[in-house]
Amino acid sequence: MQEIRQVRLCGYGGQGVVLAGTILGYAAIKDGKWVAGSSSYGAQARGGYARADVIISDRTIVFPHVIEADILISMSQPAYDAYSGEVSPKGIIFYDSGMISPKKLECVEQVGVAATSYAVKEILQKQSANMIILGACLRVAEVVTKSSFAASIHENVPERFREANLKAFELGWSLGEHLKGVQEV
Amino acid sequence: MARDLEKYLRPEIKSTPFCPGCGHGILMNLILRAIDELGESMDKMLFVSGIGCAGWIPSPHFNADTLHTLHGRAIAFATGAKMFNPALNVMVISGDGDLASIGGNHLIHAARRDTDLTVICANNMIYGMTGGQTASTTPLGSLSATSPGGNIYRPFDLCQLVLGAGGSYVARYSVTQPLSLVEAIKKALKLNGFSFIEVLSPCPTQFGRRNQYDSPTEMIALLLERCISKEEAEHLSEEDLRGKIITGEFTGARD
Amino acid sequence: MSFQEIKGTLPAGSYYFSGNEAVAEGAIAAGCRYYAGYPITPSSEIMERIAVRFKEVGGVFMQMEDELASICSVIGAVWAGAKAMTATSGPGFSLMQEAIGYAAITETPLVVVDIQRAGPGTGQATRVGSGDYMQAKWGSHGDYQVIALSPWSVQEMYEHSIEAFNLAEQYRVPVFVMGEEAVAHLRERLEVQATVRVFNRVKKHGTPPFGTDSMDGVPPMPAFGEGERLLVTGSTHDEFGIRKTDDPRAHARLVERINNKILANRGKIANTESWYLDGAEVVVVAYGFTARSALFAVELLRKTGKRAGLLRLKTIWPFPEEAIRDVGRSARKVLVPEMNRGQILGEVMKYARCEVSGLNQTNGEIIHPQRIVREVEAVL
Ligand SMILES: Cc1ncc(C[n+]2csc(CCOP(=O)(O)OP(=O)(O)O)c2C)c(N)n1
Ligand code: SF4
Repeated sequence: MQEIRQVRLCGYGGQGVVLAGTILGYAAIKDGKWVAGSSSYGAQARGGYARADVIISDRTIVFPHVIEADILISMSQPAYDAYSGEVSPKGIIFYDSGMISPKKLECVEQVGVAATSYAVKEILQKQSANMIILGACLRVAEVVTKSSFAASIHENVPERFREANLKAFELGWSLGEHLKGVQEV
Repeated sequence: MARDLEKYLRPEIKSTPFCPGCGHGILMNLILRAIDELGESMDKMLFVSGIGCAGWIPSPHFNADTLHTLHGRAIAFATGAKMFNPALNVMVISGDGDLASIGGNHLIHAARRDTDLTVICANNMIYGMTGGQTASTTPLGSLSATSPGGNIYRPFDLCQLVLGAGGSYVARYSVTQPLSLVEAIKKALKLNGFSFIEVLSPCPTQFGRRNQYDSPTEMIALLLERCISKEEAEHLSEEDLRGKIITGEFTGARD
Repeated sequence: MSFQEIKGTLPAGSYYFSGNEAVAEGAIAAGCRYYAGYPITPSSEIMERIAVRFKEVGGVFMQMEDELASICSVIGAVWAGAKAMTATSGPGFSLMQEAIGYAAITETPLVVVDIQRAGPGTGQATRVGSGDYMQAKWGSHGDYQVIALSPWSVQEMYEHSIEAFNLAEQYRVPVFVMGEEAVAHLRERLEVQATVRVFNRVKKHGTPPFGTDSMDGVPPMPAFGEGERLLVTGSTHDEFGIRKTDDPRAHARLVERINNKILANRGKIANTESWYLDGAEVVVVAYGFTARSALFAVELLRKTGKRAGLLRLKTIWPFPEEAIRDVGRSARKVLVPEMNRGQILGEVMKYARCEVSGLNQTNGEIIHPQRIVREVEAVL
């Protein structure tokens, strides 16, 4: 694993982007990493798109904001359009392929995951798309361990949504397995 | 000060700062009388006051814990002390300007919360300490340093204000009604909840002088004439009620 | 000394907290059991967390009708024996200033967390600024001292919160944790220890609560209800609290002591942190979130062989004059980046005998490290 990873999650408000960032950050702490997270707030968040940045490092983090994302997870077209240009060379983008038509980008790998339609069909809950796309991402990009992420879901998600989130994460994780080397599921 | 009440005063404080004939001195006596009759221990009493002549009633005279605060904020300070240490018996004593103008927001909110405080508002219908400017209790037409043509705004009815905000015990008396007033203070002290007593207290220096009441006795006489009981008021016509001040309890003690 | 090692109020371990959550937890760990406040962005998460946590640890939480009532009720609670605090942001901090002067003259220990946002006025409520430092110092009328801390991380929001209570109790003075929106809403790993070192209020039955023999002493502080028959007043008073509103000597004595008790201990109170100062030609002096941009910039510069260093101010008031004098002697140039129009720049200029310039930004955003890199490169 690299010593510092800059992860950015983005989408519409209501897609659970900020919570997903918190779950990811806390999972990394469980792995013994240093973490800094920030998310869109106030008027920004009301403006229809949400963003959560998580920096994960083996050492203490000096500057806690994302300068260039190594991993971008995008769940809406406007958020994709806003942030896909700020991904580092050799970075990777995970996008919800049912929601976004990707652009051609040099030096950046792009992986489509039909997270929202899987959420609707398999989990019967649209809101769990965040855990599906994140599950797939974590399987491919190896940001945090699977067990820490599951434990973090347990501690951060209210009980009545917990099962659905865990299920969605598992689904995403297994989708991610097939994704290694493939472009879209 | 009656001899038997001197034990409630700090021995090192020799005199009060009030003008001759000021009602605040009488009120000071009556508050101590109520405490004495209740047998309340000064060890658990906390007196909180704001800024103004009335704020000097307890501080530094009363030989108990006293907290002399900022102008308008006495009730807020008192709320903190009472909420943190409910064993303290907290009495707020301050002026009408302090409690009802600059501090009006704290007054209504403490009443709304029904915080267990006894609030005594010495109402002299004017800002005494700063030299006789108009207060939110100055009667229509009265002269003041800032209403040279007579006050053009209606005054607050403080008791109705506190009642409306939710106070548990509300009463109004004048320093010319010592027996009723002492009873009211005793009730308020015993009550578990927000109690408010408006006490009409003459200010001969700033109010009297400007409004042609040439001596303190004249002001006392005027209060004696104007203050009538709730019961008396029931039998009077609107015409006869003009200029009268209705006194009494405006809610029974809640418990 | 009344320092004591007590059991923490959170299990030891790693947490993923926001700065606002951390500052609330620090206060609880330090023994704060009275909180009064009024909602305001970007500080409200502090009162929300306290409201929940006081139910668990047994504290008194009051949502008051405004910030005037909030801080005044805090003062009342402190005299009733509490360790107490409030938290707010610019507009609320402005409203609190009269009571802060009252706390200073009555020597009431209390903590105010000010989460700075972009002012003046309502400004940009959700955006960051550091424009309240001069208000923290001079906001109330008259001559008095306060202590103001400037945390740069979630860890320090927690630690400074504890430190603030300890300093308040040690010196009987209002202490401010000058947070910034960028740290308040940042989430980071927070390490919590099993025990906390706290300073407990010094009490001495029968001694004067408002005076000491020395001109820079801190008197013991009793509470209401202990039978001391306390006289607390915001008017000038003697050592027993008796009003002295016309005595010039009593006034000078009181004013000088409440100032001297802080200034004479400046060396103990004022804290700084040095990074890469060895041989540094350009020293960046920074505080709060901006110090993180500055450290990132300095590390980038050092990687390319540029001789830059950072002096970080952890305490702003009392001002760490000595540390500034030192960098003024060793460096060729000092750069002060700030999210305001140069509030601390002026202070640095007073003590650094070298070229000093500011890098000021008032757009409601943090200062990016690259801006600092460019500015330093221009002179190296
Ligand atoms: C913030 C503030 N504004 C104004 C004053 C000046 N001031 C002192 S006492 C007072 C009026 C007091 O009137 P009241 O409460 O009715 O008491 P009285 O003197 O009439 O007994 C004023 C305006 C002050 N001390 N603080
Ligand atoms: S100015 Fe009025 S209220 Fe003040 S002491 Fe004199 S008479 Fe009393």
